[in-house]
Amino acid sequence: MTLKKPSTVFYHVLIFIIAQLIWFSLLSLWIYWYVTNYLLLLKVEDKLAPQMISGTTNIVALISGLVLLILLSLSMSIIFIYLNRQLNVTRLYDNFIANVTHELKSPLSSIQLYLETMQKREVSSDKKQEFLGLMLKDTDRLNQLINSILYLSSLEQRKLTRKVSHDYHIFDTDTIIREVIQESVQEFNFPAKNVAIEGNASCQCVIDRNWLKIVFNNLIDNAIKYSPKLPQIKIQLNPGKRYFHIEFSDYGIGISQKDQKKIFNKFHRIYNPESPNVKGTGLGLYWVREIVEYHGGKISVSSAGKNLGSTFKITLPIYQESKKRYMNRLLRLSRKYQTIPETDHEQ
Amino acid sequence: MNNKDRILLVEDEDSLAIGLEFNLSAEGYQVTWVNNGKKALEQFNAGNFDLIILDLMLPYVSGYKVAENIRAKDPQIPILILTARTSLKDRLKGFEIGADDYLTKPFHLEELLLRIKGMFKRKKWYQKSIENMPSFRLGENEINFQNLTVRTGQKSFQLTAFEAILLKYLIDHRGIVVSRKELLEKVWNISSDIETRTVDNFIVRLRKYFEPDPDNPVFIKSVRGVGYILIDR
Repeated sequence: MTLKKPSTVFYHVLIFIIAQLIWFSLLSLWIYWYVTNYLLLLKVEDKLAPQMISGTTNIVALISGLVLLILLSLSMSIIFIYLNRQLNVTRLYDNFIANVTHELKSPLSSIQLYLETMQKREVSSDKKQEFLGLMLKDTDRLNQLINSILYLSSLEQRKLTRKVSHDYHIFDTDTIIREVIQESVQEFNFPAKNVAIEGNASCQCVIDRNWLKIVFNNLIDNAIKYSPKLPQIKIQLNPGKRYFHIEFSDYGIGISQKDQKKIFNKFHRIYNPESPNVKGTGLGLYWVREIVEYHGGKISVSSAGKNLGSTFKITLPIYQESKKRYMNRLLRLSRKYQTIPETDHEQ
Repeated sequence: MNNKDRILLVEDEDSLAIGLEFNLSAEGYQVTWVNNGKKALEQFNAGNFDLIILDLMLPYVSGYKVAENIRAKDPQIPILILTARTSLKDRLKGFEIGADDYLTKPFHLEELLLRIKGMFKRKKWYQKSIENMPSFRLGENEINFQNLTVRTGQKSFQLTAFEAILLKYLIDHRGIVVSRKELLEKVWNISSDIETRTVDNFIVRLRKYFEPDPDNPVFIKSVRGVGYILIDR
């Protein structure tokens, strides 16, 4: 849930400073060694044949030594930067594990509770039906979570290979988007009157229908989670010349300027005490971004401020107008791997 | 069982809360369910509850904060933390802020009900027990079992309900070795094979409060392989 302030930042900086001090002293040592030896060499030079030692080799030795040390410090800095990044990811990953464990245990404990209740007590058939319904909802939740983790790893490979199943086709944009949104809305039992789709996108696009649905599922899920009441959702479709735009707006609690930058990062979760929901894995929006980018598009978020809602803007390429080669490749791969047995991609 | 026992259930997972409410009602408790920390505090201030079942990850106000707030107002009300967080750190923090029991999800219904029953039983035993001995002097410390405060010279501090009950049990049996098993059964009202570490955690805290040197205790001593003994000097 919460992302704790990194208490280790201080130690990272300390390590960095120490590393710099070490290389600086190494440098000084090198110069000192060179200067002292240079004097020694001069003395030796006086005694021995003067032609034995030439001044240029000394300068070459000095410069090459310095270059070596500078390279050393550069590589140290690079290692430090990557180490820092890695530590950050590890911290987020720990958080993710904690969140996933929580998300797995909650439905599991509810299922266990109902099973034990039915074993222990006489339950009326009405109640039994209610409990079974709740249990099925929980198994569904477990299934969704496990799927999202599994598909994410396959999507992350970013390679258009056999491992990621492809089902890209050319669609009429307006029709497919309205269809997918409608399906998502139904899945969440979200009242249709709270969803307004405006504008139209009369163009063609190349889309994997299953992946697109995951995008809208996540956006709708977030809109519900992060609104104190049942939210109003507005979806604006705008066709452009080469790209078309989808603006998905809710009227929830909004996202602060600071968090807008990080919201699509993997495992990132916003800790906001005013948030009506504290559950989640930090994967949803990361996944959304990955999918949009896989489709050759972009996603960004904006918010008018606290409690004024958020707007996600998705830009996708229009078929035959932009990213022609990439789109054709997606279509070709879909045809090529069509024979793979279909897996259920629904989130 | 007392039908009037009222439980405040703080749980933001709807499906779990519905099942818990059903079971607790079936056991004869009167249950009020709230799904966030803010409502929990509002309800607590408005109603008169006998026990709190508290989730930790809650919207608006976290479970820890809720427990702290409740403890500040009522040192005696039993609080049972029911959470998916299993780490030792969370557990210790839970006890630190004054929870009386900590049960992790997924849990067994029977165990939860037993623990709740145990908490009620304990509360009643304690109330009866302090009628005979409202205060006790342990070394430099004057323990008031009524309002759970301890006065040491000029300083005074607050005990949690559980600490007070454990201390009371040890004092009632002073000079006798009390096994962990007995403490778990009599103080926690749970079967001893569940968690003996819980007892040790509480003993450590009592020592911190009362021993001049907690590493070399003079009042609450360990008897290797058996349990603990309270020696009143």
